Amino acid sequence: MADRGDRRDMSVIRAEALRKTFGGGAVVAVDDADFTVREGEFISLVGPSGCGKSTLLRMVAGLLDRSAGTLSIHGRDVTGPNPAVAMMFQKPTLLDWRTAIENVLLPSEIGGRVTDDDRRKAMGLLRLAGLEDFAFSFPSQLSGGMQQRVALARLLQTGADILLLDEPFGALDEFTREHLNVELMRIVGEVGATTLFVTHNIGEAIFLADRVFVMTPRPGRIAGIVEVPFERPRRPSLQQSAEFNALVSKVRATFETETTAGEDA
Amino acid sequence: MSDEGDLGAVAAKGRTRGIVARHAGILVALVAAWEISCRMGWLDPLFFPYPSAILLGFWRLYITQGNIWPHLGLTMLEVLVGFLAGSALGIALAVCVGMSDRLRRYLKPYVVVLEATPRIAIGPVIIAAFGFGWTSKTAIVMLVCFFAPFVNTLNGIVGVEPEKQSMFRSMGASKVQTFTKLLWPSALPEISAGLRLAMASALGGALVAEFIASNAGLGVLITQYTGTLNMASAFVCVLTLSALGYFIFRGMEELDRIVVFWSDGDRTDAMSRRRKAAWRAKMGTTS
Repeated sequence: MADRGDRRDMSVIRAEALRKTFGGGAVVAVDDADFTVREGEFISLVGPSGCGKSTLLRMVAGLLDRSAGTLSIHGRDVTGPNPAVAMMFQKPTLLDWRTAIENVLLPSEIGGRVTDDDRRKAMGLLRLAGLEDFAFSFPSQLSGGMQQRVALARLLQTGADILLLDEPFGALDEFTREHLNVELMRIVGEVGATTLFVTHNIGEAIFLADRVFVMTPRPGRIAGIVEVPFERPRRPSLQQSAEFNALVSKVRATFETETTAGEDA
Repeated sequence: MSDEGDLGAVAAKGRTRGIVARHAGILVALVAAWEISCRMGWLDPLFFPYPSAILLGFWRLYITQGNIWPHLGLTMLEVLVGFLAGSALGIALAVCVGMSDRLRRYLKPYVVVLEATPRIAIGPVIIAAFGFGWTSKTAIVMLVCFFAPFVNTLNGIVGVEPEKQSMFRSMGASKVQTFTKLLWPSALPEISAGLRLAMASALGGALVAEFIASNAGLGVLITQYTGTLNMASAFVCVLTLSALGYFIFRGMEELDRIVVFWSDGDRTDAMSRRRKAAWRAKMGTTS
């Protein structure tokens, strides 16, 4: 772990007093968010639905304008979509008329002419996602879990070093999700990308992350930041350990005190 | 795998043959029942001619007199040109409207009113404006063929999942890229369905237009034959239209299967193999 001085220099996402309101200020979706994300770090954003975590992610992606505060990526103010940032959604959002490999190549196509290097890279990413044998399958021929793997390969094909994942496996069954989480850690670790992962599952958030941002709703605030000290690579059995469960309790406690405090006020 | 496929194909062929035989039997029985009903006086041959007379009528109209051909050709021309022009206009306008929220808001009330108006009610007006010739009939077919493709294309474009649009935006796609790579292909299944609807009404539109006022076409021929109680010949025209309608319908279905290949399992499999072969030809490997 680097010391504090280094961390400042290595921060790739920096937000100060970040705020987002809808309906002319009537609804505060994100209020006064302060955080930095360091290079190569895996951050989980956890909270109940409606706590503003997706809104926060969309602001980082440049898909939503902020209402107030500052937000910068690689030291530059966020004004719109940024090639250094790529986003993955809860639905696979694959194009039905394209094979898996053609879907993965989409970012290259949008960026300009597709080269043979792009094609080789795309095939390599599908291999990384364990889908080499399904490169020429259409989405309708793939299971939901496989479709999300294709979406993950497409995410990496963008070449972005900041990955934003909005409950990417939320629509899948428990077993597939757990399996894909392990795969995700392996793949992201291999690529060395900085990752912001949104989920409403506390266990999943801790299992994946270096740090967990706990968000509470109305208004959406980052109520606490929990460091996750476990070494990598992590195994699913980690989730049965006492240390892990202690951390789950800690996150839950942060969440509950904040909520009751909010209700008292 | 291929053995299973062959066996499956053989079994399917056998099944098809059985179905064809059964249907042919039913058809012969129906025609025979009709002929007998006429002979026994249960049906008035003045309005429901003997099937044998209709068969002779086919011989007369298509071969010995050959007088159906120009009318058939004209009606087909009206249908084809009207369909192509009307649906192209409908799709093009829907694309413009679909890409601009403002245009959509301004045009919506007019579209709703026009959609509620029976298209054929404007028929006499169009005939007054364009005359009795084929242009007015084509214009009416255009009108009939405009709405289904327009509405379906618009729904298809507007109905694209917001998450997919966000994905394109986050990739920095231009408006043109978003249209050609996302909106248009996403809308294709609905556009194709709209074209089928339009085609189905095109033939009817052309006929009604010919009924209103015309000097040629199958609609005119039917009016003339029924006017002189030459029912056998009128039935020849009607059956000709049935055949025409059937082939148009099948053609549109086939077009749909080709264009929207991903909604059909077998075609998706075939396309998957083709893309793989193309990749191998280009890259020398599929890994």
